[in-house]
Amino acid sequence: MSRQNRDGGWPYVRGGSWTEPTVYAVLALAASGETEAAGRGVRWILSTARRDGGWAPRADVDQSTWVTALVALLPAGLVGETPHSRGIEWLLGITGRESTGLYRLREWLLGNARPSELEFPGWPWFPGTAAWVGPTSLAILALDKENRRKPSPRIGRRIEEGRGYLLRRACREGGWNHGSVQDLAYDSRAYPETTGMALAALRGVRSPVVDRALAVAGGFLGECRSADALNWLRLGLMAHGNLDAGYCPPEVLCRTLSESSLDLLVAEEQKGRSLFWG
Amino acid sequence: MNGGYQLTRREWFAATAAAATLTGCADPVAPVVPSAVSIVRASEYGQGLYDTVRRMIGEHKLDVRGRRVVVKPNLVEFEPHNVINTHPLLVHAACEAFRALGAASVQIAEGPGHRRNTLDLAEAAGYFKIVPRFEEMFVDLNLDDVSRVRPARQFSRLEKLYLPDTVMGADLLVSIPKMKTHHWVGATLSMKNLFGVVPGGVYGWPKNVLHWSGIDECIADLDAICPHRFAIVDGIVGMEGNGPIMGAPKPAGVLVAGRDPVAVDATCCRVMRIDPARIKYLRLASGERGFQLSEGEVQQIGEQIRTVATPFALVPEFKSIRLT
Repeated sequence: MSRQNRDGGWPYVRGGSWTEPTVYAVLALAASGETEAAGRGVRWILSTARRDGGWAPRADVDQSTWVTALVALLPAGLVGETPHSRGIEWLLGITGRESTGLYRLREWLLGNARPSELEFPGWPWFPGTAAWVGPTSLAILALDKENRRKPSPRIGRRIEEGRGYLLRRACREGGWNHGSVQDLAYDSRAYPETTGMALAALRGVRSPVVDRALAVAGGFLGECRSADALNWLRLGLMAHGNLDAGYCPPEVLCRTLSESSLDLLVAEEQKGRSLFWG
Repeated sequence: MNGGYQLTRREWFAATAAAATLTGCADPVAPVVPSAVSIVRASEYGQGLYDTVRRMIGEHKLDVRGRRVVVKPNLVEFEPHNVINTHPLLVHAACEAFRALGAASVQIAEGPGHRRNTLDLAEAAGYFKIVPRFEEMFVDLNLDDVSRVRPARQFSRLEKLYLPDTVMGADLLVSIPKMKTHHWVGATLSMKNLFGVVPGGVYGWPKNVLHWSGIDECIADLDAICPHRFAIVDGIVGMEGNGPIMGAPKPAGVLVAGRDPVAVDATCCRVMRIDPARIKYLRLASGERGFQLSEGEVQQIGEQIRTVATPFALVPEFKSIRLT
């Protein structure tokens, strides 16, 4: 709470308020009953909502981006039904640029074959660019939570498309990196943090891709010393019932406010509180 | 006699002289001051680097007294035994040299393009061990406060760009990349290293907006945006083949430095036996005249290129850039 800015938001480390650490801080504070600080954070988030229904990474950036998925993870009861619904709508309207009709038409006219990994649309970090594993996983988490609250075939279809994207973007050895399966002729290696994120988004999905990823994630969990990676690995393994009930993460340093908040949230999730899946 | 204004003989001479002067300013073949680029042999990452780097920076007579210096290494992946990242000893040697020259502050700043946990990445790359109080002097450019800026000259399709305040507020930005081949642009050196100043917090990981807007063009844009620069390229052990990540170590045994990033990178290309005129971003940034791309227009300090040049292996897609 000592890091909260006067405007109600939080920085990653120091400086001005950003949407991502503010969302995680609000979730963590709300979960621990710190309603006053959480409320100020929510007011900052609401004050930075954009006219298109999305959120920008900071108030002084004039573009809604992937952070809208994080805001959509906040309970509708906390931010209000209308802003929440508008955020969900913004997410439903976004795909990676390679999945847009215009891009597909261009590739077809150029006679370029469509690689199988482009079959399903994911989400980009920044509108107008390609889809990647990180923002796709977060968007799925937000939409899945919403679909449990208010089931909708439209949301369900988009979740399935996003999961299709993730399953096609897994590394050959198992797990995920940022979303690049091959680096020229070489197979790309998986990252711990994105493997955890994708596994969390694939909760309930049975597939050999998921099985391989769970094995890779288990290996990462034993050797990794990054708080960000450990947070997501724990959540990803938990999503598939693959984290031992008594698992205690090693002592690692949380470097940013997002990491500290996520650590608290995952610990709550481990205690049985469903903050990510509703 | 018409009613119009007529020049006196004196005015006519004055006007002719002024016109000649102005024409001279725009003369595309007017002489230019050659950029100084130094090449120093350095065979290993040892304590001798501190003296080598101090002397190398001294040759360029940089006045950093009371100035804010930001040193930008190249941190990419968690593989401490590979040669992907700039070696921390070189970065520390540069920081110490700028402090000794009287800089008011020296910060290390980086914003990796793939991995979000920058400090963990720096720790894996050995920065915490080599650089005392590293965390105090480090700024994660992916998460820094940002301001909207416009390039002085624009080459890409980027309509707007947000950049970190730490970079834009620096009196001198020192780019310290690895000398590497690159499977998309041919070579990644001091100019391509500036992709790391584009904030992931705004654009994501990777900073894919730069790819869709034209990689070469965005490199040239960033070159135009960040005017006060110095470059030290780590060619002690570089990377060849499928760089910047999956390539093989290439010991070149050199450091290359200078104030003019285009001239420095063009010199590095020649050391790597790559034709700088075939690197698109160098052509864009050097302008129509391209004088920094010509070896004859660079004032070489220290070793001569021919004595240190060593061919870096190229992926098949870039065989045509080989210097013949």
